[in-house]
Amino acid sequence: MKNSQLYKGSLNTIIMKLLEENGKMYGYEITQKVKIITQGELNITEGALYPALHKLEAEGILDVEIERVDNRMRKYYKLTESGQKETINRLAELEDFIRNMQSLVNPKPNLEF
Amino acid sequence: MKLSNEQIDQLFAFTRQHYVEWYDLQSELVDHLANAIETQWQENPKLTFDQALNIEFNKFGVFGFMDVVEKRQAVLSKKYSRLVWQHFKDFFGIPKIVLTMAMTLVLFSILKISNYNEWIIMGLYLILIVFTFYKIFKNRKIRKQKMQSAQKRWLFEEIINQYGSFSGAIILPLNIFIEVASHSDKFLTNDYSALGLSFFFVLLAIVIFIIFKIIPSKAEDYLLATYPEYILEKL
Repeated sequence: MKNSQLYKGSLNTIIMKLLEENGKMYGYEITQKVKIITQGELNITEGALYPALHKLEAEGILDVEIERVDNRMRKYYKLTESGQKETINRLAELEDFIRNMQSLVNPKPNLEF
Repeated sequence: MKLSNEQIDQLFAFTRQHYVEWYDLQSELVDHLANAIETQWQENPKLTFDQALNIEFNKFGVFGFMDVVEKRQAVLSKKYSRLVWQHFKDFFGIPKIVLTMAMTLVLFSILKISNYNEWIIMGLYLILIVFTFYKIFKNRKIRKQKMQSAQKRWLFEEIINQYGSFSGAIILPLNIFIEVASHSDKFLTNDYSALGLSFFFVLLAIVIFIIFKIIPSKAEDYLLATYPEYILEKL
């Protein structure tokens, strides 16, 4: 993942946001979706994605579904009810973070002078 | 171009070669690799299956699938511990708390009345140890047969069958019981320490009962809850 340290903390939120928008998704689909949305700027590594998915599943944020596709089984992830609530919280948190970082990195000129 | 059945089988073999022994993880990784290879073929149809697989496998990093496997193990072990804890809490909720208290009091009374209390406590502890070892060895035999018969293996099933990290816990308090038994005049004549010891013994017995009896008897339910694909395999 590009600049992995900065993105690492947001991986769960990225996954949850994508699932909120798309309903159910499988692992490979998530990596591709992120690539398309960020126009190839952000590449989620496989080694980070699956552990994150499994952890969210164990926490009860995600639920899994299995479908037989072609000649193989596909494991879909979707948000549980508590996961949907949690997504709203985490997105708000992330937006706060982005806003704070923005004002730290690009402080607005003080207009009082 | 789509992958053939033989190539899917090759992918399963590939995950096994790279130390992914459990079907639940294998099937997820196989689907991932298959999708990725098919996407590669769309962009570059000249790639061979092995070349495309190599490119995709390299994306997992120098440790290959190890990271995914280790994290999955950690997550499921935690899940198992939570399961034990849930059952444990049951023994302190109504109505089971009556049983817990009654067992403690009965043991306490026996220790108080009897002149052979150090033998009683060691005897009871020995029964627990024998029960544990009996279960462990019986289970190991069944598991060995299963491994040889090349049946699919499920990570959570294996954690249940290896009792998480609890299987050694039965031996840990051995020193405590030896100490108590050899200084029984000090520990077992005192009401407080005798009551404390009775309670401790009951707790130990409960944990062992949960790990070796309750959870294995419900293993199928827990596996179904963990793996939706489990039912497809059982049909």
